[in-house]
Amino acid sequence: MNEQGRGSQSADRNPLVALAGQPNVGKSTVFNLLTGLNQHVGNWPGKTVERKEGTFTCDGTTYRLVDLPGTYSLTANSPEELVAREFIIRERPDVVVALVDAAILERSLYLVAELVALPAPVIVGLNMMDVAQQEGMQIDPQKLEATLGVRVVPMSASHNVGVRELVEAIGQAARGDYIYTPKRPEIRADHAEVLAEITRLVTEWVPQPYPPDWVALKLLEGDEEITRLMQAHLPAERWEAVHDILKAHEDALVAVASGRYEWIGQAIRAAVTRPRTGQIGLTERLDRWATHPLGGLVILAAILGLTFWLTYTVGTPALNLLDTYVIHPLADLARTVLEPFSPWLAGLVADGVIGGAGFILTFLPILVIFFAVMGVLEDVGYMARAAYVMDRFMHPMGLHGKSFLPLFLGFGCNVPAVLGTRVIESRRARLLTALLVPLVPCTARMTVVAFLAPAFFGPAATLVSWGVVLLALSVLAVSGVLISKIVFRGERAAFIMELPLYHLPNPRTIGLLVWQRTLEFVRKAGTVILPVSVVVWALSALPGGGVESSYLATVGRWLEPAGRLLGLDWRLVVALLTSFVAKENSIATLGVLLGTGEGGLAQRLAATYPAATGLAFLAVQVLFIPCVATVAAMRQEVGWRGMLFNLGLQTAVSLAVGMTVYWLARLGGLG
Amino acid sequence: MIERLLDLLRAGGVRRIADLARELETTPALVEAMLDGLERMGYLRRMDGSEHGCGGAETKNREGCAGCALAGACAVAGSERVWSLTEKATGHMR
Repeated sequence: MNEQGRGSQSADRNPLVALAGQPNVGKSTVFNLLTGLNQHVGNWPGKTVERKEGTFTCDGTTYRLVDLPGTYSLTANSPEELVAREFIIRERPDVVVALVDAAILERSLYLVAELVALPAPVIVGLNMMDVAQQEGMQIDPQKLEATLGVRVVPMSASHNVGVRELVEAIGQAARGDYIYTPKRPEIRADHAEVLAEITRLVTEWVPQPYPPDWVALKLLEGDEEITRLMQAHLPAERWEAVHDILKAHEDALVAVASGRYEWIGQAIRAAVTRPRTGQIGLTERLDRWATHPLGGLVILAAILGLTFWLTYTVGTPALNLLDTYVIHPLADLARTVLEPFSPWLAGLVADGVIGGAGFILTFLPILVIFFAVMGVLEDVGYMARAAYVMDRFMHPMGLHGKSFLPLFLGFGCNVPAVLGTRVIESRRARLLTALLVPLVPCTARMTVVAFLAPAFFGPAATLVSWGVVLLALSVLAVSGVLISKIVFRGERAAFIMELPLYHLPNPRTIGLLVWQRTLEFVRKAGTVILPVSVVVWALSALPGGGVESSYLATVGRWLEPAGRLLGLDWRLVVALLTSFVAKENSIATLGVLLGTGEGGLAQRLAATYPAATGLAFLAVQVLFIPCVATVAAMRQEVGWRGMLFNLGLQTAVSLAVGMTVYWLARLGGLG
Repeated sequence: MIERLLDLLRAGGVRRIADLARELETTPALVEAMLDGLERMGYLRRMDGSEHGCGGAETKNREGCAGCALAGACAVAGSERVWSLTEKATGHMR
C-alpha cells in the first residue's frame, strides 16, 4: 500500500471506497486501472478469501480502494458474501461502487438491489457498454439512474472508457456532494406488515453497527448468520415472539427476492431496449407454428408421416432390389456350392445365415434413410420442439413432468430410457416410469414396422405405420394417465428448457450420426441376430422331415391356439417369441421360415397372410414384451418383481390390443 | 415476480423461457436471472452440464452431461439450460 511516511491516522481520514460486483463483471480491470501499482494483496482476517486493497489519487485527494470479493448476492451462504457485507456494515465506506455487466444487466442488478439496503451510498458502474452495444442492446443510463435513484456511470473499463467519470463521481460522493436517494426494492404488502412487526420487536436490541431495518429484513429472509446474532442479543421472550413470526413465514425469502426482481424488472423496462436480431427472429417465427398447442401436434404428425413416406418411397424399392439381386443369388450360390458336400451345411448357410441375419442387412437402405431424416431433424433443432409439443400434449393428461425425459429417450432405445429413470427422485415415480418405458416404440420396433408395413400393405404402408405409432402412443398415454392418477395423485414436476435456435443442418454431423447408428445395427446383426437365426433355422430343420414337422413347428403349434385369437399362425407366433432376443429377429425368423421361396419375403408374406393378420401382428409387435437388454435393465433398476410385472402387463396389453385390432379389421372386411 | 414464476413452474410441464417471459411481461434475461436466483435459493435444480448433472443420486457426476452414460441418447444433453423443481419448491404448495 502507498501508506509509507504517513500516519495511520491520516490514512484513515482518506476517503474509503469499496468496489463490489458479481464475478466476471470487470472488477479486476477497474481496480488495476485505478490503483496501478499501488495495491496490496492479502487475506480477509480469519478467512481464506483474497483481500485486495490499494490507493489512488485524484485532484489532490488520496482514496483507499478495497476490492470486495465477487458475489451474486449478500446472503450468508458463502464466506465471500459474508466478507463483503460485513465490510460495508463495519467499515462504512464513503462510497460503494457497484460494478455491473451491461450485457447481462438483469443478472447483474441483483447485487445492487441488496447493496442499496445497506447504509453506504452506492454508485453503479455500468461496465461493458461496448459488449452490450455489439449485442444490439440500447441502455439509457439516465433513465436507469432515474428508476434506481442511484448514480449510474456508463463505462467500458477494458477500453478505459468512463473511468474518469467514475472517479469524478466517487470524488463527489466523498465530498458529500452526492445526494443519495435510492429507490429501494419493496416487499409485497402482506409481508411488509410482518417486516414492520419484526423491525419493531428487534430494533432496540440490534447491536452496533448493524442497521435495524437491514437486520429485520435478513431475519425475514432466514439468514442464518443474522438469526444467530439476534438469538444471542434478544431476551429469550422477545426471541420467542420473533421466532414464531418467522416460523409462520418460512416462504418470506421468496417474497423478499421477488421484490428485488420486481425492482430490476422496472429498471429494465425503463432503460433497456433489445432489437430482435435475424436468427432469433426466424426461430420465433418458426416456433409460433412448431410449438403451437394444436398446430405443433399437426406438424409433428405430418413430419412423422413424411419420415415414413420418404423411408418407404426410397428405402423399400432398394430393399427389394437387394433382396432379389443380392440375398437370393447369394443364397442360391451357397446352396449350389455346398449341396454336394453337405445338404445340412447348405441349409445352414443359405437359410439360416443368409436368409436370417443376411436378410436383416437388406434393411440398411431403410435404416440409413430413417437415421438420416432423424439426424436432420435433430441437427436443425426440431427434436427439442417435438419433445416440447409431446409434453404439452401429455401434460393435460397429468403425466409427471420428470417422467417425460426418460420416456422421450425411449424412442431411440428403451435401455438408456430405463436407466434414465434415475433422474426421478421419488422411488414410486421412478418404478412406474420404468414400467411405462417399454411401451415407447424404439428404433428397433420401428424397423420391424418399417419392413412389415410395406410388405403387407404396399402403398398404404405410410398410413398404417403412422396409425401403429399413434396406437402405441395412445396406449402409453392411457397407461400414463392411469398411473399418474393412482400414484402421483396430481403431483406435478416442472421442467424448464430453452429451445435451441434453428440452424442449417451440418452434413458432417448427420453423416457421422448415420454412420455410427448404421455400424451399431450391423454389429447387432452379426452378434445378436445371427446366432438366433442359426438356432431358429436348426430348430426348423431338425429332426429332418421338413419345416412342418420340425421341433420349432411342434413348439409353435403348441402355442398356436393363443395366436389364432389374433389371426397368427405358428410361424408368426415363433417370430414374435424370437423378438425377445432382439426386435429385428422377428423378421430374421420370418426370413428363415418363409423367405427362401420365389419373390422374396415381402411378397411371400403378402401372399400368405390376410391384411387383418398383418395389422394385428404389427400392433402386437410394437406392444409386446421388450427385448432382453431392456428386461435386464429393468431388473437392475426396478428389481425382479417390477420386471415380472412389466412382462405380464405388456403380454396382456399387446394380446388384448392385437385381438381387438384383428377382429375390428375382419369386421371391416380385411379378413 | 419470482412468486408468479414459481406458480407458473408449479403448474408443471415443460416450459420455455421465452413463454415464461411473455407471461410475466418481462425479458427472457430477467427470467433466466430469476431461475438462477431460484437455483441459489434451492428451489430449482439444474439438470444439465453443471456440477451435479441430472441431480439423480446415482447419475451424479462432476462432468455433467459429458460424464453421463445417457448423454448419447438424451434429448437435453448439451443443452445449457434445463432445470427441474426441487422438493423445497413443490413442498411449499401444500
